[in-house]
Amino acid sequence: MAEDVKPTRKNLMAIEDRIELSERGHDTLEQKRDGLIMEFMDILDQAQDVRNDLNEDYETAQRKLNMARAMEGDVAVRGAAAALKEHPEITIQSKNIMGVVVPQIESSKVKKSLDERGYGLLGSSARIDEAADAYEELLETIILAAEVETAMKKMLTEIETTKRRVNALEFKLLPDLYTNQEYIEQKLEEQEREEIFRMKKIKEKKEEAEAEEAAAAEAAAEAADADADAVAVDE
Amino acid sequence: MSTPGMNASSGSPGSSNPEYVTARVRARRGVLFDDDEYSKLVRMSPAEIARYMEESEYEQEINALGSRHSGVDLIEYALNRNLARHFDALLGFAEGQLYDLIARYLRKFDAWNVKTVFRGVYTDADSEAVETDMIRAGEFDDALINRLLEAGTVEDVVTVLDGTMFGDAVDAAFEDFQESETLVPLENAVDRAFYEQLLGTLPSGEAIDLYREFLEAEIDFRNVRNALRLARSGAEIDPGEYFIDGGRLFSASEMTTLVENTDELVARIRESRYGTKLSEPLDELEAADSLIDFERALEGVLLRYSKQLGNVHPLSICPVVAYILMKEREVTNIRAIARGREAGLSETAIEQELVIL
Repeated sequence: MAEDVKPTRKNLMAIEDRIELSERGHDTLEQKRDGLIMEFMDILDQAQDVRNDLNEDYETAQRKLNMARAMEGDVAVRGAAAALKEHPEITIQSKNIMGVVVPQIESSKVKKSLDERGYGLLGSSARIDEAADAYEELLETIILAAEVETAMKKMLTEIETTKRRVNALEFKLLPDLYTNQEYIEQKLEEQEREEIFRMKKIKEKKEEAEAEEAAAAEAAAEAADADADAVAVDE
Repeated sequence: MSTPGMNASSGSPGSSNPEYVTARVRARRGVLFDDDEYSKLVRMSPAEIARYMEESEYEQEINALGSRHSGVDLIEYALNRNLARHFDALLGFAEGQLYDLIARYLRKFDAWNVKTVFRGVYTDADSEAVETDMIRAGEFDDALINRLLEAGTVEDVVTVLDGTMFGDAVDAAFEDFQESETLVPLENAVDRAFYEQLLGTLPSGEAIDLYREFLEAEIDFRNVRNALRLARSGAEIDPGEYFIDGGRLFSASEMTTLVENTDELVARIRESRYGTKLSEPLDELEAADSLIDFERALEGVLLRYSKQLGNVHPLSICPVVAYILMKEREVTNIRAIARGREAGLSETAIEQELVIL
C-alpha cells in the first residue's frame, strides 16, 4: 500500500491528520466497547434470571393446565378460555443504552381479576382459576423475557460491530497509516539528502569550472605577456 | 325427555316408581369401575385406557367415536357421551315425582349446554364443534338443542331459551352482557337459575328431607368454594353477587363479610355442621396456598354423603343421586387418569387426584 502513496508533504500532512483522527476514534470506540460489555453483563445476569423464571413459570402453568384439563375436562377448560373478551395488549417503546436502541415493552390487561376472565364464577372451579393465574404469570414473564433478550441480542450485535471497528482501526487502518507515514517521511528525507548531495555536486562542478576558467585566463595572460616580450626583443 | 327444560313429565307425586328405578340404578352401580380397575388404569397409556374402555361399559361410545377422535380426546368424549346415555336413561325410566327429583339435579347439564352454546356463539365457533362439547344428559330435547346450535348471536340464544327454566334469568342478564361485553352475567344467570330450581317447591317426606339436606350441602359447598376463591383473588367484586340462596351455612351479607377475612371464613366452616368432615382439608387449606385440595375434599365429602343417604333410604331419590354422583366421579377419575398419563404425571400424582370411595 505504501508504494501507492505519493511521497509528498501534502500527503504526509493528510496522513498525520487521519492518524490523529483514527487514534481518537479508536480510543472512543474502545471506551464504548468496554461500556457496552459492562452493560451487557448486567443485562446478561437479568436475562439468565428471567430465563430461569420463564422455565419455572412455564412448567408451573403447564402442570396447572394439565391438572385443570384432567379434573375439569378439556371441554370445560377450552370453554373457560373461549369466554375471554379482553385480550392482553402490549405497547413497545424504545430506550437508548450507550447508543443502542432497545425495546421497552409495556403490557396491559395481562393479569385479570376473577370477573374479568369472562367465565362465570358459579359454575367453574379453583383449578381453572389457578391455571389462568399461572398462564397470566407466564405471559408477564414472556413479555419481560422478550424485552430483556431482545436488548441482550441488540447489545451483543453492537458489541460485535464495535469490536470489529476497534480491531479494524487497531490492526489495519492505523498500522497502514503508520507505514505510509513512515514511507513518506523516509522518502522525503531521502529526497532531501539527494537534493543536498546534488547541490554539493553542482557547487563542486561550478567551482571546478571556475577554477579551470581562471587557470585558462591566467595561461592566456601569461602567453600574451610572452608574445609582447618577444616583439620587443625583435624590435 | 320432555318439554325443554321443564318438568313436564313429572306427573303426580303418587305415580313415582322408585322400586323400579332404584333396581335399575343398583345394576348400573354394579358396573362402575372399582379400586382395582383404577389401579390398572393408572398404569396404562392413554391408548391402553381407550382399549380397556372398549372392552367395558364404554364399548358403544368408544366404537361410535373412534373414527372421529383419537387419544385422550376420544376417551373424554366417550366418557361424556356415556354419562349422557346413562343419565338420559334414568330420566327415561323414572316417573312422577321421582322424575322431577332426578331431573332437577340433572338440569346442571342443561346449564352446561347453555353455557357451551353461549361460549360457542361468543367466539364464532362452528356449531359442529359446539355440539361435540355438549353433554346431552339434561332435560333439553334434541329439537331445542338444535335450535340453540342454529343460533347465530347471543341474543338469538337468549330468544331460544325463552320458556325454559333459564329464560327469565338470561333475559334479565342480557342487558348486563351488552354493557360488559363478557359472558360472566349470562353464565352466572344460568348457574343461578339451576341452583334456584334445585330447592324450589320440593315436596315433603323423610327421604326428600334428606335429599333437601344433600342439596343444601351442595349449595353450601359451592358458596364456600366461591367465597374462598373470591377471598384469594383479592378482586374488588361484591361477593353477594355470587352467593347462591338455599344453603344453611351463611347468608349473602355474611358471605360478603367473611370474604374479607379468610380466617373468620375458615373458622365459620369449622363451627358449622360440616366442621368435623372438613376439619382435615381445612387444616391443609390453611397450611397450603392452593384451593384445589380443598375442593377435592369437598367433592369427596359430598360423594360420601350421598352414598350414606342412599343406604339410609334405599327406595327413594337418595340412591339415584348417589349413583349420579358416583358416575360423574367415575368419568372425572378416568379422564384425570388419561389426561394425567398424557401429560406425563406420575402414578402417585394421578392417584392423589382421584376421589374413590
